[in-house]
Amino acid sequence: MADLDPVIHAQARLRITAALATLDQDQSIAFPRLQELLDMTPGNLSTHLKKLEDADYIVQTKEFLGRKPVTYLRLSTRGRRAYEDYREQLRALLDREP
Amino acid sequence: MSPTSVSPADPTPEPARNSSLNTDTEALDPFAMLALADNQQRSIEQQMGSFVPALALIWAVAWSVGFTMLWLIDGLAPKFSLPLPAAIITFASLILVAAGLSTWMSIRANRGIKSSAESAFTGIIYGAMWAAGSIAIIVFGYGLEANGMSAELATIYYPTAFVLFAGIMYVMAGAIWSESFSAVTGGLLMVLAVVGPFCGYPNHYLWFGLAGGGTFALLALVSFIRLRRVRALAEGGGRHG
Repeated sequence: MADLDPVIHAQARLRITAALATLDQDQSIAFPRLQELLDMTPGNLSTHLKKLEDADYIVQTKEFLGRKPVTYLRLSTRGRRAYEDYREQLRALLDREP
Repeated sequence: MSPTSVSPADPTPEPARNSSLNTDTEALDPFAMLALADNQQRSIEQQMGSFVPALALIWAVAWSVGFTMLWLIDGLAPKFSLPLPAAIITFASLILVAAGLSTWMSIRANRGIKSSAESAFTGIIYGAMWAAGSIAIIVFGYGLEANGMSAELATIYYPTAFVLFAGIMYVMAGAIWSESFSAVTGGLLMVLAVVGPFCGYPNHYLWFGLAGGGTFALLALVSFIRLRRVRALAEGGGRHG
């Protein structure tokens, strides 16, 4: 398992990446909505999003709804490719198992 | 940010938070990780699509009751005849309520999701087409009446044209947003529309009520069973594809 992407190869970040991959490429999701769908605490989600952002796997944009700031998130092209590669690697590992 | 840093807004008690992070940062075996990814995607699909069975059921009720009301104007005459205003008001109210609920449920299911300007433009044009197409059907009908279409023929033209138009719009939605459920619904409505006029007045209303309402009821059942299966897979795990 040494070759598996360490950014995605953690339960929380895999869940976040998988959830974002269900959206279309041109869609982004508000932080509170993603938190609700994943049933994660804001702090936990923020921590893992930071790691994904540091790897350029997600794109965060801030907008204002009235006076309220809202963060929108989406997978970057690099992140989507990394997720697909990660899944392929897992499948390849499973195929090799007796 | 360190792995254990948290937002001030995080209400989770410290021990639970650390425990959760420890679990979250750990990796499972390849099979379990692949299952986790699949289940998470199923969970999102299930959560965002949970309104579909209720939506189909609402339309099933609106069609079956609404069109049956129209059929009752002359369908059981002379034994019984529902007054025309009562039938039309009931039908229109049911369709308007169903349309309003559909809009509300769709907006609620997609809350927090933002599309690109191009996708938003597609959605606006599609939404406007419902209004523009409906007005066009009415104006076209007036034009036909002005050129001699009888009142009896008009009672066949209007509902048939609207059902056909709804079917085309559902198919278009299915094509634009890759929604097979919508495309299948649209195809069925188009078949209902072209068969309707052959039933003649007033039985075409009964056809639209029973077959149309039945179609939506069937779609409600199929979508409910599908969502239940997705939920069971998401909660209980399952073999990856």
